[in-house]
Amino acid sequence: MSLAPLTPACVAVLRRDLTLAWRRRGDIVMPVLYALIVTTLFPFALGPENALLQRIAGGVVLMTMLLAMLLALDAMFRSDIEDGSLEQLMLSPQPLALMMGMKILAHWITTALPLIVIAPLLAGMLHLPTAVMPVLIYALLLATPLLSLLGAVLVALTAGSRRSGMLLALMLLPLCVPVVIFAAGAVAAAQQGLPWLAPIAWLGAALAMALVLAPLACAAALRIALDA
Amino acid sequence: MTATSTVAPILLEARALTFYRQDEPVFGPLDFSLRAGEVALVEGDNGSGKTTLLRMLAGLLHIEEGELQWRGRPWRRDEHLGDTLFLGHHLGLKSDLSARENLNVAVGLYGNRCGRGVDDVLRDIGLAGYEDEPVRRLSAGQKKRAALARLLLLPATLWLLDEPYANLDRTGIDLVNRLLTEHSSSGGAALVTSHGAVSFLHGEPKRVRMHA
Repeated sequence: MSLAPLTPACVAVLRRDLTLAWRRRGDIVMPVLYALIVTTLFPFALGPENALLQRIAGGVVLMTMLLAMLLALDAMFRSDIEDGSLEQLMLSPQPLALMMGMKILAHWITTALPLIVIAPLLAGMLHLPTAVMPVLIYALLLATPLLSLLGAVLVALTAGSRRSGMLLALMLLPLCVPVVIFAAGAVAAAQQGLPWLAPIAWLGAALAMALVLAPLACAAALRIALDA
Repeated sequence: MTATSTVAPILLEARALTFYRQDEPVFGPLDFSLRAGEVALVEGDNGSGKTTLLRMLAGLLHIEEGELQWRGRPWRRDEHLGDTLFLGHHLGLKSDLSARENLNVAVGLYGNRCGRGVDDVLRDIGLAGYEDEPVRRLSAGQKKRAALARLLLLPATLWLLDEPYANLDRTGIDLVNRLLTEHSSSGGAALVTSHGAVSFLHGEPKRVRMHA
């Protein structure tokens, strides 16, 4: 009798979630299309004035990404709870927090990464200067995993409840305030030619903390959610 | 109780195990013990708490009242994990993945029982030719078989099977009985809930009654 070592277990969970996402690639495209359409609507609503769009570009892209991620967040553990695979995951002789970390990573790869890929396109549509583009990407690369991690904890907390979608948005959006402030702050600073490293470093610090704590909280919340 | 089971060590022992849901007693106090090599049938009406008992023993529900011993020591979830297999109402299969992919994930998480390959086990369980079919295209009975394949593949001493006979045809029922016999003869134990009449190969099984 041999128990499964840690690395293959992590790989198994990660590969499973990525395969599942690939089998339903239509669902991956949805948030991307949503972000594209929302960004396109802004010039219609505010007028096609270059200076105005340039000023709001960073913030608009950031908020659009946040809302697009929120759309996909709800489904993070739903199917796993419904078909019993979460029970099997929890009863396996593996650290649940690490397995949750793998699930969050898979979720980030399938929802946030495609959004980051089209971010330059969206920002370009709003005339964000090319020189600021890398800062926007840095900010998104740090802010989106932070949102995935925070979101996962809240999804786990609301896992037992019926109407979790709206509740999730109401709980997550206030928590996003610091993320938005620092990410938008970095882009705005870069646009004005000011040093932008400090807000990026703050995002990095927050991400480091969330990487350690969020999977633990997520695992504990799911244990409680299934214990009912 | 047969002669062999009296000498076998006690694996699981419950003393005055009670479960409340919103202060309403669901079952208990329940006393039973399970020795290595024993298969016990959990009996009770609908809503008597059979599934709840299995979920509790699996470690999904925490024990509020009563005592549980595992191999002579107080039951602890982290020691118990990996030594127990739980097959619930939800089969734990991803419908977009094939039976083979589902089992590969299970092996990655739980480890392998005796070096048997996934394909070998799938053939044994009667799913030859359906290895690569997405689980959602399988019939209810075939899904059940795919879930039962975990029993053959993964290492565990204690099996907690909730309605393992549901949806299965005659050969499927024989298959479950064969799995249980093999498991008990190799020193494992199992708790099984079932509504239908069960014919274990070795005469009368031990019974755990939910209501005294």
